[in-house]
Amino acid sequence: MAQARISCCLPPNIDPTKSPVAFGERALPKLNEELKDSELITRQRALMALCDLVHDPENVYQAVHLGFLESLKSLLHDQDSTVRQKATEVFYIMAGHSVGRQGILKSDVIPAISKLLDDPVVICRQNMHKTFEMVSELPAGAAALVKANLVVQLVQKLECELEDIQMIILETLHFMLQTDVLQALSAGAVGILKGKLSHPSAGIRRMAAKALMDICVPLEGKETVCQEEVVPLLVHLLQDSDNEVRANAAGALMNITITTQGKYAAINSGAIPKLLALVSDGYSRVRLNSLKALTTLSEAPEGRKVLLADVNIIQSCLDDQSEAVRRAAAIAIQVIQWKP
Amino acid sequence: MTSVIPRQKEMGSGTYTFSSQPRVVQNRRKYRGVQPTVNEESFTYGNIMYDRRVVRGNTYAQHTLPLSAQPDPIEFQRQQEAQRRALAKKRAKELLRPRTPEAVEGRKHIDVQTELYLEELSDRVEEKDMECQTDAFLDRPPTPLFIPAKTGADVATQILEGELFDFDLEVKPMLEVLVGKTIEQALLEVMEEEELAQLRAQQRAFEELRNAELAEAHRLEEQERRHREEKERRKKQHREILLKEKETAEKVAARAFAQQYLADLVPSVFSSLRDNGYFYDPVERDVETTFMPWLMEEVENIMKKNDLGRTMLDMIIRDVVKKRLADFQRATSQDYLKYEVNSQGQEIKSEKSVMQPQNPDTEAKHPELQLKDPETEHKDEILSDI
Repeated sequence: MAQARISCCLPPNIDPTKSPVAFGERALPKLNEELKDSELITRQRALMALCDLVHDPENVYQAVHLGFLESLKSLLHDQDSTVRQKATEVFYIMAGHSVGRQGILKSDVIPAISKLLDDPVVICRQNMHKTFEMVSELPAGAAALVKANLVVQLVQKLECELEDIQMIILETLHFMLQTDVLQALSAGAVGILKGKLSHPSAGIRRMAAKALMDICVPLEGKETVCQEEVVPLLVHLLQDSDNEVRANAAGALMNITITTQGKYAAINSGAIPKLLALVSDGYSRVRLNSLKALTTLSEAPEGRKVLLADVNIIQSCLDDQSEAVRRAAAIAIQVIQWKP
Repeated sequence: MTSVIPRQKEMGSGTYTFSSQPRVVQNRRKYRGVQPTVNEESFTYGNIMYDRRVVRGNTYAQHTLPLSAQPDPIEFQRQQEAQRRALAKKRAKELLRPRTPEAVEGRKHIDVQTELYLEELSDRVEEKDMECQTDAFLDRPPTPLFIPAKTGADVATQILEGELFDFDLEVKPMLEVLVGKTIEQALLEVMEEEELAQLRAQQRAFEELRNAELAEAHRLEEQERRHREEKERRKKQHREILLKEKETAEKVAARAFAQQYLADLVPSVFSSLRDNGYFYDPVERDVETTFMPWLMEEVENIMKKNDLGRTMLDMIIRDVVKKRLADFQRATSQDYLKYEVNSQGQEIKSEKSVMQPQNPDTEAKHPELQLKDPETEHKDEILSDI
């Protein structure tokens, strides 16, 4: 029989941190209303629920069309740190989906979210950088990030951020540098990356070498790198224990040694014997990059003289399992044995 | 309680005929959903006691107008007036009554239930006011706990032990839902991560190729640039060589021409110079320029001296002649006769005296005579020395 008493205990299986999700199609519109609520706990609970929902691409699609991005943008400047954390996390998860990335680019989230660069809460910054990284994987996203003048700020952040965040920033820079290098060069990126090359963490060394490889693609980058004397450090990294570090260092050398200045810098710091040792590496990227670097080095007469004696090492790569390596080896041998 | 009206068909003959059978108005269902179709055949009639069309109670107490009675117009008017007055009074009373203040802007008053236990107000029990008087001064029994009048019908079923709730059985669907939802969410996230990882791997593989090809393209570009520069340099060098060769040829030609031109020049210049007397013998020139004039001068000097000596001698002779003439004339004029024999000796004497004193005089008068040529003197001396 019903009694006029109400229990103080909430029913068991309900997570008080999450707001209950409405059924079916109503779920996201309801959450959007709750996101705009003036009460803090409602917003927090809505964000918690949203974090789980946006893993589903269908929900992301619906969310983008319902204008969630606008309400999330306004939540980025919330007083409460939990709200900011969760809002950035939602952005990160959404950026994992193609629809989400396009929505983010379309509704200009990048300038709004980049105001959190100096946020006191670490998780907020981390989520923000993860979002940037996800967005930058899209060429249009990388272009948008460059357009928002984030290159200079990110390069400066490299010096003062935590290691985890540094990794994410370096990954983002990798994509952004494929779009534009000159901004980074004027921000002094080469000097900072040079410092990161001797970092104890393998991940950071790997990313720094990768970013340097991207910087070296245009001519200005190659010149700057030669002026800053990064080549000996890269040659030293060729003996690193990490596969990726070796591959990226060899890749950076492959790009630097295209100029004559770079060739002599590399030959003088003893790159040839180390690269020759890498030709028989177990990792195909290392082999490919070192073969390419050797090819460029052998264009210098000094390099050719040394390499002519060791052509048989490169010849062993002709029956490699990777097609790109085989082709690179053929080109290398052809360049080494070239006679004027 | 319920009575079933016998079906019309069974009734056979009736007072009424229906186009459709009369039936109870169907109650609205509480929940929306598929309305079960009412089967005319199986329709069961409800309680006639609740049918509104059935008049209840004593029909004698009901006020019915006599059919013949005409309504009195005055009475009717009075009644209407009273009714209107009562209405006006009621309205005035309502206005005078204290009310709650007006609702704040944007809100409005609504009636709410203030009881702790909310009741559904939909079906109200029909009420009728009854009065009763309690006995005076009876002990008032404690007020029983308010239990709202129940609604709905009670149904009872006997339930045996273990029949109603088996935890293991009941928890199964619940758990399935819970676990299913969690697993679904987890799978979604894992799949998302896997997809991302695969995309990254593919991207990395693509980048590997792209970077290598990019480097190759740059290398070839650089090579091309070097070759072009080399070609330019060689061209430039070759042009310079040609230029130099041309210059040298011109120089050689000029030299040959100059040599040819100059070959005749030297002898002609020398001959003309020689002709003009630019080349000479120094001894000859010295003799010509200095010795000969000196010699001439010296000769002239000696000649002059000779001349002077002769002049002097001439003068002396003249003087002597003049004096001898004068002496002779005096002697002749005065003592010509006396001294004619002696005069000849005297004359010689005088001649001698005249000559003697006159020598130093001439010498004094002509100092140049004294300055004899030192060279001649010297020569004389030298000769004497020898």
